[in-house]
Amino acid sequence: MERRTIIEFQDVYFAYSSRPVVSELTFALPSGRFIGIVGPNGAGKSTVLKLMDRLLVPTKGQVFVAGRNIAEYSLLELARLIALIPQEPQYFPFTVREIVTLGRSPYRRAYSGVSPQDEEIVEKAMADAGVLELADRVVDQLSGGEKQRVTVARALAQATDILLLDEPTNHLDIEHQLHICKLLRTKAEGGMTCVAVLHDLNLVAAYCHEVLVLHDGRLAAQGSPDDVLTPGLIREVYNVDVPDIRHPITGRPVIAP
Amino acid sequence: MRRGGVLHGVVLLTVLLTSILAASAVGSVPISPVDVGKMLLSRVPLFGHVEKTWTAIQEVIILQVRLPRVLLAALIGAGLSAAGVLFQGILRNPLADPYVIGVSSGASLGAAAALLFVIPAGWAWYGTVPLFAFVGALAATIIVYRVGLVKGRIHPTNLILAGVAVGSLFTALVSFMMVMKTQNLQDVYMWLMGSLSGRGWLQLGAAVPYVLGGCAVAIFISSKLDVYLLGEETAHSLGVDVQRLQKQVLVLGSLIAAACVAVSGVIGFVGLMVPHAVRMWIGPKHRRLTVYSCLVGAIFLLAADTLARTVLSPLELPVGIVTAMTGGPFFIYLMKRG
Repeated sequence: MERRTIIEFQDVYFAYSSRPVVSELTFALPSGRFIGIVGPNGAGKSTVLKLMDRLLVPTKGQVFVAGRNIAEYSLLELARLIALIPQEPQYFPFTVREIVTLGRSPYRRAYSGVSPQDEEIVEKAMADAGVLELADRVVDQLSGGEKQRVTVARALAQATDILLLDEPTNHLDIEHQLHICKLLRTKAEGGMTCVAVLHDLNLVAAYCHEVLVLHDGRLAAQGSPDDVLTPGLIREVYNVDVPDIRHPITGRPVIAP
Repeated sequence: MRRGGVLHGVVLLTVLLTSILAASAVGSVPISPVDVGKMLLSRVPLFGHVEKTWTAIQEVIILQVRLPRVLLAALIGAGLSAAGVLFQGILRNPLADPYVIGVSSGASLGAAAALLFVIPAGWAWYGTVPLFAFVGALAATIIVYRVGLVKGRIHPTNLILAGVAVGSLFTALVSFMMVMKTQNLQDVYMWLMGSLSGRGWLQLGAAVPYVLGGCAVAIFISSKLDVYLLGEETAHSLGVDVQRLQKQVLVLGSLIAAACVAVSGVIGFVGLMVPHAVRMWIGPKHRRLTVYSCLVGAIFLLAADTLARTVLSPLELPVGIVTAMTGGPFFIYLMKRG
């Protein structure tokens, strides 16, 4: 598949009041890849993700999405291009199907009902995220892992080219963590660009096509996990020593301090 | 599956229309509901030939006294319930009611000023009290809104805190006025507890544009509240301009509540309880919730006002007492039943 640049930062600064959170950020992300953003706490990972969906506006510099300055999009255009799963999604006692159907709202007019096409997309999104059998359950009766999958289904129903996720595997057991990562990798291989802030470097090493390492609000490294996640970089960024070991089967880096 | 299909809506609407006829028939001069129905029908151009089985006095009682009051009760009930849905949604707080950001305290201050100072000073005209109450309600809301803003953004918690602060200040001012002036105190008490006593076509006409128009707009924009309740960041990513929605909903809810309070005084409990009861019944989807809350609120306040003017007849109870005394236990029952 041909890859083009889908998200591009040009010399982006962002500051809350006068304290800079990210600075001099310049990078380009290819389409159709699962990209991990990693870095220590306070490195600016969530800020970078929010800048990608215009939840925050750069203090200086530009963000381009699909070749166009992000400032030029209308909110609805943006909603049809980018879906976002925030760090702490909120729930309300809707049924799973109702929540996932809300993912279609950028496409619906104020008074139109749910079209058969919408229903089909919602059904497919629930199947992909593995929540089809929960469709008529009320969401606050579900477990944390199930809720996170419902949120993913809602984002998939948005049918966007780009999916942004802020620590989607937080609070999840290992089975659910792997489920989400596998799903994101499959979706990326199907052409959707998935960008996730992740803390678990081993998940990044195992599933991401590409990794963006942030340190003190600056770009420390970018590339494939094989090339980037070296003991040297981890010492420099996280200030911990790790041995240089590889997974005996996949050959990918294993980060085990 | 959740309840709340079109059928339930039609049933509610039928109950409402029947209640309007029945409530108009009840009172110190009993008039049969059938006669009330025929009386109304005779006013419709094509049905002018309906046989008159009632007296001219009965017609005056119905058309000039009871009907406007009954319609006003239904209107206020619908308006307070719609405003309750809006505020509970936009502030994401189950304790929010139409008065949460200062409407009632502002209206009380305005009404008390009118009743205790303006009218005794001889400047009375027919709409003095509602006008002062309406202006007071909007003034208080604007103050609360300005105080609750943080760096130009709306934060629900700050708004609620600002509402509490401004509310207690205004309530203290009302009490101060009542200590200073004792003339007309009875009227102030009645007003503070909410009453539809003596209200007619004039008050109905004044409130209709705000309340009916407001409810219609509320039904239209309420579906955005579904997305909003998934969190501000999610709502943004689904294409909702969160700041604009918050402003629209706050302005709309305040206008509806201010118009209701201005003509009826502070009727408590309806706007808090009805949305919750309806949510337990049909679920939290906002378009349906708003429509059903309007219908249920209208029926509830209509029934409460009918009780208020008949139980101790010829004395009248403030309807606010009836809503709290009947609604409170019923709501506790609903909560316990789950």
